[in-house]
Amino acid sequence: MLIRLLAIAVLLGLATLAYRWWQGRQGKVRRVERPGALTPLTLGAARGPHATFVQFSTPMCAKCPPTALLLQRVAAEQPGVGHIEIDAAERLDLARELGIMRTPTTLILDSDGVVVARMDGAPSEAQAREALAAVPPPTEYAI
Amino acid sequence: MSNEAAAAEAKPKDIQIDPRGYRFGASLTLVISIIALVLGANAAGVITMGILALLFLPGATIGPQKTLQSWVFRKAIRPRIGPPSETESFRPPRFAQQMGLGFALLAVIFGALGSAPGFYIFTGFVVVASFLNSVLGFCLGCEIYLLLKRATTRAA
Repeated sequence: MLIRLLAIAVLLGLATLAYRWWQGRQGKVRRVERPGALTPLTLGAARGPHATFVQFSTPMCAKCPPTALLLQRVAAEQPGVGHIEIDAAERLDLARELGIMRTPTTLILDSDGVVVARMDGAPSEAQAREALAAVPPPTEYAI
Repeated sequence: MSNEAAAAEAKPKDIQIDPRGYRFGASLTLVISIIALVLGANAAGVITMGILALLFLPGATIGPQKTLQSWVFRKAIRPRIGPPSETESFRPPRFAQQMGLGFALLAVIFGALGSAPGFYIFTGFVVVASFLNSVLGFCLGCEIYLLLKRATTRAA
């Protein structure tokens, strides 16, 4: 009896450690160097002229709807930033190609549609802004 | 009917539920599955997991808003704590209940066949998953869904 209770305590302790480690990685901004652009045709939606959040979600993901609202809020802070939400379970081709393992995962595209950063897991507003900052500022044109 | 067509048909009917309700359900699951682990791989433990599987059944088939646990929550707890500040789709917890049902049934089957390791492993899964959900607010099923989908659907 005592041994079993002890084993349960150890099991729950390990689960807590694993959870802490996993949550620590949540939303972390990683720079990405990936050749080639994601076209509006591949994405199934128009990109933002300056930058685009491409959020991969599934219907079984409780954190995806609030993340979509958060990204739309951050995208609205500056002109030319778009937000596209893709159902990863429907677009398994894209999910495999881009190495999407969990949802929400958000890719940040520059003005040409090239992936410059990604966040695996639900980001905070600060993380979303940090990711957006990975996109180089638009070139000024003198007319 | 293809899977895609079935999914498209099921999609518009979303039900928003109180997330505190299924967290309460998960805490009951945690208590029951810990009791089963303590009772051990014998008739009492197997019957306990069988009862848990029955409690999962309505949540796994219709949705977590139709379980006995959620009924208790609505009648006894929600009147005291007021309406929720936010609601969530019923789909992620329904998927979690399906996983819970699967693991509980496997624990019952292994236990009934006399395989103690099988009983402990699958009951242990239920303990860990319901602990993560009830105490830490973490939905294991949500994270596993895409991996499962990736593993079970062949590349086009």
